[in-house]
Amino acid sequence: MKQLITLNINGEQHELALSPDTTLLKALRQELGMLGTKRGCDTSACGCCTVHLDGKAVYSCVVYAAAVQDCEITTIEGLGSNGTLDPLQEAFVEAGAVQCGFCTCGMIMSAKQLLDEQDHPDEEQIRQAISGNLCRCTGYTKIVDAIKMASEA
Amino acid sequence: MAAADIVGKSVTRPDAWDKVTGGRGYPVNVQLPGMLHGKLLRSPYAHARIISIDTSEAEKLPGVKGVLTAKDAPVRPFNPVYFTPIGCHSMVQDMVLFSDRVRFVGQPVAAVAATTEAIAEQALQLIDVDYEELPTVFDPEEAMGENAPQLHEASPQNIAKNPSFEVGDVEAGFAEADHVFEGVYQTQRVHTCYMEPRVCVIDCDAQGHFTVHSSMQHIFGLREKLAYALDIPEGRVTVVKPPYIGGGFGGKLDIGYIEMAAALLSERIGRPVRIEHTRHEDFISTARHPIKVYLKTGVSKDGTITAREAKSILDTGAHATHGSEVIMVHGMFGVVFPYRCANKKWEGYTVYTNNMIGGGYRGYGCPQGCFAVESQIDEICEELGFDPIEFRLKNAYEQGDPHPFNPAWNLNSYGYAEALERGAAAIDWSRRQPAGSETGVKKRGIGLGTQGVWVSGCMGFPDIYEHTGAIIKLNADGSADLASGTVDLGSGQITTLCQIAAAELGLEPEQVRMSYADTDTVPFDAPTHASRATYSSGLAVQAAAADAREKLLEVAAAMMEANPQDLEVSAGRIEVKGSPGSAIPVADVVRMAESPFMKDTAEGPQPSCPPEHKGTIMGSSSLAPPENPSPATALFVEVEVDTDTGEVSVLRCVYAHDLGRVINPNAAEGQVEGGMQQGIGYALMEDLQFDTETGTCLTSDFLDYKMPTAMEMPREIESIFVETNEPSGPFGAKSLSEQCVTVPAAAIAAAVYNAIGVRIRELPITPEKVLRALGKL
Repeated sequence: MKQLITLNINGEQHELALSPDTTLLKALRQELGMLGTKRGCDTSACGCCTVHLDGKAVYSCVVYAAAVQDCEITTIEGLGSNGTLDPLQEAFVEAGAVQCGFCTCGMIMSAKQLLDEQDHPDEEQIRQAISGNLCRCTGYTKIVDAIKMASEA
Repeated sequence: MAAADIVGKSVTRPDAWDKVTGGRGYPVNVQLPGMLHGKLLRSPYAHARIISIDTSEAEKLPGVKGVLTAKDAPVRPFNPVYFTPIGCHSMVQDMVLFSDRVRFVGQPVAAVAATTEAIAEQALQLIDVDYEELPTVFDPEEAMGENAPQLHEASPQNIAKNPSFEVGDVEAGFAEADHVFEGVYQTQRVHTCYMEPRVCVIDCDAQGHFTVHSSMQHIFGLREKLAYALDIPEGRVTVVKPPYIGGGFGGKLDIGYIEMAAALLSERIGRPVRIEHTRHEDFISTARHPIKVYLKTGVSKDGTITAREAKSILDTGAHATHGSEVIMVHGMFGVVFPYRCANKKWEGYTVYTNNMIGGGYRGYGCPQGCFAVESQIDEICEELGFDPIEFRLKNAYEQGDPHPFNPAWNLNSYGYAEALERGAAAIDWSRRQPAGSETGVKKRGIGLGTQGVWVSGCMGFPDIYEHTGAIIKLNADGSADLASGTVDLGSGQITTLCQIAAAELGLEPEQVRMSYADTDTVPFDAPTHASRATYSSGLAVQAAAADAREKLLEVAAAMMEANPQDLEVSAGRIEVKGSPGSAIPVADVVRMAESPFMKDTAEGPQPSCPPEHKGTIMGSSSLAPPENPSPATALFVEVEVDTDTGEVSVLRCVYAHDLGRVINPNAAEGQVEGGMQQGIGYALMEDLQFDTETGTCLTSDFLDYKMPTAMEMPREIESIFVETNEPSGPFGAKSLSEQCVTVPAAAIAAAVYNAIGVRIRELPITPEKVLRALGKL
């Protein structure tokens, strides 16, 4: 039943034996122990599981792991380098954009795509970019502030 | 940093670093060796008797390690609410884990543990349950009728609880009134929508001791309820405090079916069992109760409220759980207390139906009351031509008045009037136009809502825990570990309690760390609920820090050959008051106390400090707060109503709160802004809907249950903090959290009325209701 697949995650190759219906979210959390990507709903509606496939933010709960073997997968663990955080991560801390933090990693991944594609987005573009990520703690105010802050860094 | 600079500073949350890089400390991440995965089988019927259950096929499935049904479960009825002791009088004890009768769609009837989630799910399909359907009732007023199906034998007419309150002479008060207003206000069922699903991992060892990891808001309540439900001594249960949980908002305040099932399965199998809710299961497990309020108010010509009479009908669903207590809080704080009035009468009904069970949700009955009371005040002002601010000030309590909840207390800090005045100035209240006077398709309106009397915890409530404690231990590097049972749901206690400890101890905030805690090692703590953590836990932390500080100064005095009373500690250094040159680091004092070394003296080797001061410098506390000081809130909102589509947009909010002294302004703003998101959802879109024939939830995922995204939120949310100094609070602080979600629905409804000139008394104010109100549907 299981098949051998190879996933390219944060620049590293991972070989896994998975049943074909394993989602990327399950592969990350349950097979690889990469717990930064969260499960909030499993129905592509909350955004907690957002990762990048070739630089585009997607919900990993509705992507089969076996179907993304040709993609470069980036998770929250892949942000920043050499022990320094990504400016978005710094800005989320600095702005007080983190409360319970369960949405945070997905939120940062959605914002990351925006800032990768656009240097100085305006507030409406920022709100649009994170409109697929739900947050119940912050009212999004300080999240928007953080993304603005990172875009100006 | 001096104490005065630590309190009131937006210290960065230490947990934020972990949370932006992945977040390790959530219960959902807990994995134990040999862990099994559990799943619950749930009833497809809203009311049925179970004739038989056959689990034999499920048990044969490879990978299945255990199956539980009613025959394996304890039968002692309980109430799952954490913050009330077992056996208290106010809570109705009407639940068991599994029984032969189901009363709502989704009620668990069996549980399975298997080596994988997939196998556990497959096993559920193999359990054969034979149900006999029974008649159902979904409307609470129908349920109170003579011919309705009876859901619990002990509660005729399905009334689980029927509290009442009366003061003065209501009939005389209405006779005295020049105008009498009557209205019916209906709120809906909404979900807390914490982002981390409910989860637990429970491990029963060979001696029968249970170690519990869970996403719940109260480690001690979970220990007590689990022990009771399993009929074992509390000492056989250890609940580990999760470093953080992914939101709670009251939705994680009761023992879930999952904790009981996981514990029983683990005990039976001898391996740890993990059960995690799907989002669908979360949606049908807890909700803010819908309450229908019949409200009647008498007003004299000069705008004095002369009488108020109300009846509230709360739909508690299949079991009483929180409904026993929510009705009281709703009636007292939502309806009776907010305004002065000599003649008041209220009656509440907690009514069983075949709907899902209600739960705790931030505000705990008060948003439903506030919507009714504040909407009617807006109607009174509109009809009689009073300014809504002046009318409220005329009838509101003032600083120094006796507390309506407990006449032994006074409202020693009460910034209600200042909140109204500063909020009005910020929104420029004077530009508010007469209702419905704008022309054009898109009409703007400004509205106001307030909450006069609310809580900082549960002191004064009968039957609700309110004591709390902390332990602070100083380390040889001059840092301190703070151990407390207070769970940080995201609202920032990890930060603010460390700030309070640092300010009291004379350390830098980053020198205090919130450390590990479990029910074995820290003093009892009531839950993180009822807006209590800053005030009540803050007092306990301050007391523990003061205790540690006293011991620290005793050792330092011995070392410095000074009198402890002459010493002060600040920014990690101890000095003789007024003599900065005398300063020594806290670290040196702690090291000295802990050091085994002796010093050589003329009399031979001596301990480096007197033997009575040897040892770890630490402080502890376990206390109940002296009072329950009231915060106060005024919210002004500006909305735009599209009269073609019926859509309401909230453009701007000015939210003024008297919260006493602010400990961490950034965290406080976060409470306000997040509260607005929940409040706007409640006012305009959120609604847990059920099929009226079958009782099946129709909105049990985020695709169907709509809550505000970043797009629906106002671009401007202004927080105004009215910093009264609460004499009984830690550094003058009192509470904030629940006030932030209590008022928005009332204020938005008033603003919608101001925009379109038509009143909507039923939440949520959907485009359909707006168009209907405008006569366009």
